[in-house]
Amino acid sequence: MAKGMKFTGFALKNLFSKPATYGYPFVKKDYKERYRGRVAIDIDDCLFCGLCARKCPSGAITVDRAARTWSIERMGCVQCANCVEGCPKKCLHMENMYTEPEANKVVDTIAGKPLPKKEEE
Amino acid sequence: MGKRSVVPFGPQHPVLPEPIHLDLVLEDEKVVEAIPSIGFIHRGLEKLIEKRDYNDYMYVIERICGICSYMHGMGYCEGLERIFDVEVPDRGKYLRTIWCEMSRLHSHMLWLGLLADAFGFEALFYQCWRMREKILDMFEASTGGRVIFSVNKIGGVLKDMDKNMLESFVKEFDAMEEELKRLSDVFLTDYTVTSRLKNVGILSKEDAILTGAVGPMMRASGIAIDTRKLGYAAYGDIDFDIITSNACDSFARCEVRIGELFQSFNIIRQAVKQIPDGDIAVTVKGNPSGEAFVRLEQPRGEAIYYIKANGTKNLDRARVRTPTFTNLTPLVKILQGCDYADVPILVLTIDPCISCTER
Amino acid sequence: MAKLSKSPWIMHYDGSSCNGCDIEVLACLTPVYDVERFGIINTGNPKHADILLITGGINTQNKPVVEQIYSQMPNPKVVVAVGICACNGGVFKECYNILGGADQVIPVDVYVPGCAARPESIIDGVVKALDILEKKQAEMENKASSEE
Repeated sequence: MAKGMKFTGFALKNLFSKPATYGYPFVKKDYKERYRGRVAIDIDDCLFCGLCARKCPSGAITVDRAARTWSIERMGCVQCANCVEGCPKKCLHMENMYTEPEANKVVDTIAGKPLPKKEEE
Repeated sequence: MGKRSVVPFGPQHPVLPEPIHLDLVLEDEKVVEAIPSIGFIHRGLEKLIEKRDYNDYMYVIERICGICSYMHGMGYCEGLERIFDVEVPDRGKYLRTIWCEMSRLHSHMLWLGLLADAFGFEALFYQCWRMREKILDMFEASTGGRVIFSVNKIGGVLKDMDKNMLESFVKEFDAMEEELKRLSDVFLTDYTVTSRLKNVGILSKEDAILTGAVGPMMRASGIAIDTRKLGYAAYGDIDFDIITSNACDSFARCEVRIGELFQSFNIIRQAVKQIPDGDIAVTVKGNPSGEAFVRLEQPRGEAIYYIKANGTKNLDRARVRTPTFTNLTPLVKILQGCDYADVPILVLTIDPCISCTER
Repeated sequence: MAKLSKSPWIMHYDGSSCNGCDIEVLACLTPVYDVERFGIINTGNPKHADILLITGGINTQNKPVVEQIYSQMPNPKVVVAVGICACNGGVFKECYNILGGADQVIPVDVYVPGCAARPESIIDGVVKALDILEKKQAEMENKASSEE
């Protein structure tokens, strides 16, 4: 009955055209430029002021001023980029690649250079 | 009189993306009564305003729901902009309108796919979601995220879309509109689809007003109210009609949502043609004090945002009333007297977003 | 027993999430990402499933439901926590009704981060879970043959 065969056109077209699947994980595509994948830090510019830790809505960033370390719980970061906007030295940026899944909760700790002997500005 | 039995529906069900529990009282395969019980997604996030300041709370309110995420953020920002008494620049308003309409597009396409899956037409479900992926790619290119955009701030928007990006989007929408015309033909005229949707779940005009239906559920029963006509963001400068239908059944709701899809394409085209140059945001300093009441048209209906601030950096109250909350009463009404096999379709015609309902 | 990891069946449950990760899990089945090429089927019956994809930080009302679904799945089984909310509670960590992630209720094998987790990330997580599933299946078979 012609009334019930409206989808046939779609089905036949899909049979003879290129598949819509892009073939992940055998084919990897470039993610878009603005994609917020993962937070990265230029530790040499960091002041360890702790603003990013206060701004983080899920509390994933911990800054230890005395020990000069900056650490982030990768399994707690919601990729909102609030820390990137709030950093006074603009030393945080979003990378294009997401954090890989793991069997345990990954915490990345990055240690800054120790203070030079002369007085801090 | 037939035998009565009580059958539990949900919270884990293959057709439902979200947990909702219904106790269905059946009399020989006809549903006599439906008793809903919600509360599986209540996270208590409105209490988090005591712990986060008003700028960072934006990221919490965006995550009330993954489908309606953009408009929740926008409603919160509009409320605070009224309290601070600042005006968003025109370009910012047009950008917000374009993202709102793209949000409506992806939400309605998601709904069409889930409806097709509910009546067993999986191939149609895959076609709808395949087209929806193109919109998600556009969101990723312009805002940085596929589902949660984080692109609103108090006073405007954070990212800009330049002329090339906007024109490439309009070209893609033109191609999508052609394909959608053929797909909507399947939804509206195919015999297998119409036999599952026509005369199922009738909600008359008086019942719709009495039980408080909103959004496409209400417009499919003949009531012509659309909150976008209030003129927030750039809607005051854009020409569009209110789409209604008089058939009052599930087929009418499907028709209204498909009509809104094509209308969204028109609105985006008008916005891209009229968008002015200029700033996208104004800076806002200090602490808010006062209250504001904002009404927006979400894809599911009218949403109300009430914000109360008291002069400190934490707000007093940020209350959201979502459309699915008011649509639960008509749902209970249309479930009475339906067949047991129609229950998933009827639950889907209200476009349930339980995570919005139970923040 | 034949190799389970050649065609695992997935079950998905929303444990108090915002729906973003659930929509991305459903998007994995759609033509652009298409996990059905690998023999993965989305089932609704816990007794048919090998992998449980759980999203959302768990609610007090949802806790018995999640425990019941987990106990109904037959061994060997793996649990994949999709999204930040299922890993440690996410932005809702300090809410009064959230228990703080799926591992407060059931044992989790793989954590997939992201808000909302990309379909590619979910596919990566499922592939990692398949290795763990194979190990569990081998252990079960060794135990069964040593008991005979």
